[in-house]
Amino acid sequence: MRHTWLHWLAFLSLIAACGSAATRPRYGGTLRVEIRESIETADPPQTGQGIADLASAFTITRWEGGRLAAYSANDDAPGGRPFLDSVEIQMARPFRDQSIDLEVGKADIIEIAPSEVRRIPAARKVWSTAPVRLLAVVFGPQITDNRLREALALSIDRAAIHNVILQRQGEITAALLPQWISGYAFLFPSATDLVRARTLTASLPVPLRTLSLSVEEITWRPVGDRIALNARDAGLAVNVSVRNPSADARLVEVRAISTEAWEALSGLASSLGLPQPPRAASAEGVYSGERMLLEGSRVIPLFHLPYVYEISPRVHGGPGITPLGAWRFENLWLEGIRP
Amino acid sequence: MTFRTRLLMIFTVAVAAAVGLVEWIVSGTTRDAFERVETKRINGLVAQFRREFHRRGDEIVRAVNAVAESDEVLSTALASDFAPYYGEASSIAQSNGLELMELVAGDGAIISSAEWPARFGYKEDWLSGTSGWTSRGAFLRREELPDGAALALVAVAEVTAGDRKLYVTGGQRIGREFLSSLVMPEGMRVLLYQDLSTTGAQFLDASGAVLDPGMFFPVIHEVQQQRRETTQTVGTGAAAEIVHALPLAGLDNGLLGILLVSSSRRELVEMEASLHSTGWMVAAGGILVGMLLSWWATARVTKPVRALAVSSEKVAAGNWAASVPVTSNDEMGQLARAFNRMTSELVAQRERLLQAERVAAWKELARRLAHELKNPLFPLQITVENMRRAHDSAPDQFEEVFREGTGTLLAELGSLKQIISRFSDFAKMPAPDLRPVDLNQLVSQAAKLFEPQLAAAHILLLTESDPNLGPIAGDADQLTRVLHNLILNAIDAMPRGGELTIRTIGQSERTTLEVSDTGQGLTPEECDRLFTPYYTTKTHGTGLGLAIVQSVVSDHKGRISVSSQPGKGTTFRIDLVAA
Repeated sequence: MRHTWLHWLAFLSLIAACGSAATRPRYGGTLRVEIRESIETADPPQTGQGIADLASAFTITRWEGGRLAAYSANDDAPGGRPFLDSVEIQMARPFRDQSIDLEVGKADIIEIAPSEVRRIPAARKVWSTAPVRLLAVVFGPQITDNRLREALALSIDRAAIHNVILQRQGEITAALLPQWISGYAFLFPSATDLVRARTLTASLPVPLRTLSLSVEEITWRPVGDRIALNARDAGLAVNVSVRNPSADARLVEVRAISTEAWEALSGLASSLGLPQPPRAASAEGVYSGERMLLEGSRVIPLFHLPYVYEISPRVHGGPGITPLGAWRFENLWLEGIRP
Repeated sequence: MTFRTRLLMIFTVAVAAAVGLVEWIVSGTTRDAFERVETKRINGLVAQFRREFHRRGDEIVRAVNAVAESDEVLSTALASDFAPYYGEASSIAQSNGLELMELVAGDGAIISSAEWPARFGYKEDWLSGTSGWTSRGAFLRREELPDGAALALVAVAEVTAGDRKLYVTGGQRIGREFLSSLVMPEGMRVLLYQDLSTTGAQFLDASGAVLDPGMFFPVIHEVQQQRRETTQTVGTGAAAEIVHALPLAGLDNGLLGILLVSSSRRELVEMEASLHSTGWMVAAGGILVGMLLSWWATARVTKPVRALAVSSEKVAAGNWAASVPVTSNDEMGQLARAFNRMTSELVAQRERLLQAERVAAWKELARRLAHELKNPLFPLQITVENMRRAHDSAPDQFEEVFREGTGTLLAELGSLKQIISRFSDFAKMPAPDLRPVDLNQLVSQAAKLFEPQLAAAHILLLTESDPNLGPIAGDADQLTRVLHNLILNAIDAMPRGGELTIRTIGQSERTTLEVSDTGQGLTPEECDRLFTPYYTTKTHGTGLGLAIVQSVVSDHKGRISVSSQPGKGTTFRIDLVAA
């Protein structure tokens, strides 16, 4: 039911966009966007969300992998020419630098860390997606003992991390699919059970009680440190490092690419290196597939988080980000540029 | 060892002992002075540590109180939700120059931790269980940190906002940075032993981990046992160090660490080695100089003594006219003069003695000659008187008397001739013809020769010949005469029979001949005069027998001696030089 409603919402947005595009005037100006992600490919991405979404209304004019992308408005865009003349995207910008650039007027749209959301004054414009990205611990193939994985899963105090580090942004989860897509995420228990975790650890040989955890994105280092602290309470020694390819486990962030449950689950499984779940049309089937994927604690889902962007006051015509995180900049225009 | 050598040795030993004593005194005094300086340096460093410790403690207390009084902390204390303040402690710690900083809720739950941000929500029960933090000042505490436990100097302040309470804890690690802030004199170092039981002990100095922690374990062990300051010397030789250990106690007086202020003894050891080597060089030089000086001094001192010794040897060798030059008026001069007087006296006395002996010998010779000549002269006189009387009064018997008388005269004249011949023989004793002689063979021949005579006198002859006796250099005839005289002498000494023992004894450089009897024996006075010519204890005899024996033995460069006990017998012992 929820899915149906979302599909209709997306369809209506598209119709409205097409309708407005037909009468869309040329306002001009360059929209400056800064993102944390670094896309280090030779060519601009053609699929996925974010930069790839611009391809329908804008044409790439400059691509410097991992650094800069520049798009100009496409006069022959399906919905009509965008209001803006161009979009300039700076990649690999730390959150702190993005905030400064926004403050001094060098950026129009920036990404912000979940922990910073509550500090943003109420008057500021913020665009937030649905909790589409999953933060999870993924074990490497070298961790073969299920007791170790389960002990770590049971030791993590998700509530504390959610309340403090994530500043209550997003949702605590033990499921791969977010609740708003699957509707059953609450069925996967996410509570801490230190007693059980300690029992499992005690049953492990001492050499196996040590684990290395790589944090793939520096933003999540505090989460990794807290996981290590929780693990210590369970008797495990977790050494946290950043982008360590030989680590036993990784703290990763993956994104749901569809509002359709099976497609989203399949995409997440691919991103996490898990086997594909059996195709299922019903919620029960998807649930069964997800249970299968999570069996053995090869992956420990932790949180579903939204993307949050802070927007300059001079940007109008939004939101330019869909609930799934797709960029829709063709309807945006900049204050002072509009005649 | 000569007197000079002995004197030289005494001088040398005296110089060496003096140098050694000086070196020992200098070394001991230096060591004492060094150790006094070391003790002062250590005490100074300990005092510096205490001052630094208190200064830092005061700084921490001031900083923590300032934080506690800040609006930021007050707003945190008043907040209904602490989550937004999760990162607060780091920025507060940074702006206040504190390494450690935690904001802790009234229930002990950490709101924000600068040193371990991930520990939010964890309880610090030790804070909520105690009150009056503000007045406590700074204290040592074992702090849990992501990279392990560490010793820290911390202070706590309480913030009260309405009915809500918040604790502010702040501090600094006591580690390498703290140690390197202490000003170290050359040769000293300060080490920190942290007794952090869950993570094990750590040993730090200003440059990092201590390379040689084992040497400090005895000191640490003593402090752990006694819980008080102690000073010990650890290590040996140049690696030795004087260590002053200061226990570092926490809030509950538990031992959290030990500060070790160490001063190397290398300087002292090197100085002592230098002193020793200098001492040895000075001693060697002193001994050398002392030997040269003492050689010169002893040469001067012993020169008159040597002259005296040489002269004494000359005197001993028979040169009684020897004298020493008198070169000074000191004791040596007096001794030389006394020696010269003594030798001149000896010469004079010898002359007097020789004259007396000569006179006595002539007297004895005259007496013996008178005695010996008187015996045959009396029968001669009687015979001549008888012949004259027969001629005058009984001519018819004169022929018979004349025949008998001439017979007697011839006999007595023969005796006189024999007497004169013996005296002549003694006077004409020829020089020995030295050839290798088998003494055992001479003894054997003599024994065979005297066998009948001995048997007649009821004397048992015992010969004990050394089978290993080698030949001697001697005159066989004269030695046979010696042997015969001694045997005859023994026969005369045993008129009622007895035992005669002739013994030969061979030794490495000499051969001994002993002739023993079991006769009446001799008195000591008789023994003294026994070899005097013409002296005899017998009623017959010339008294030349033993004098001849002595003369022969003397000509063979031998020596004769007699030992006797009255009533037990007499033994003559002749020592001759082996061939």
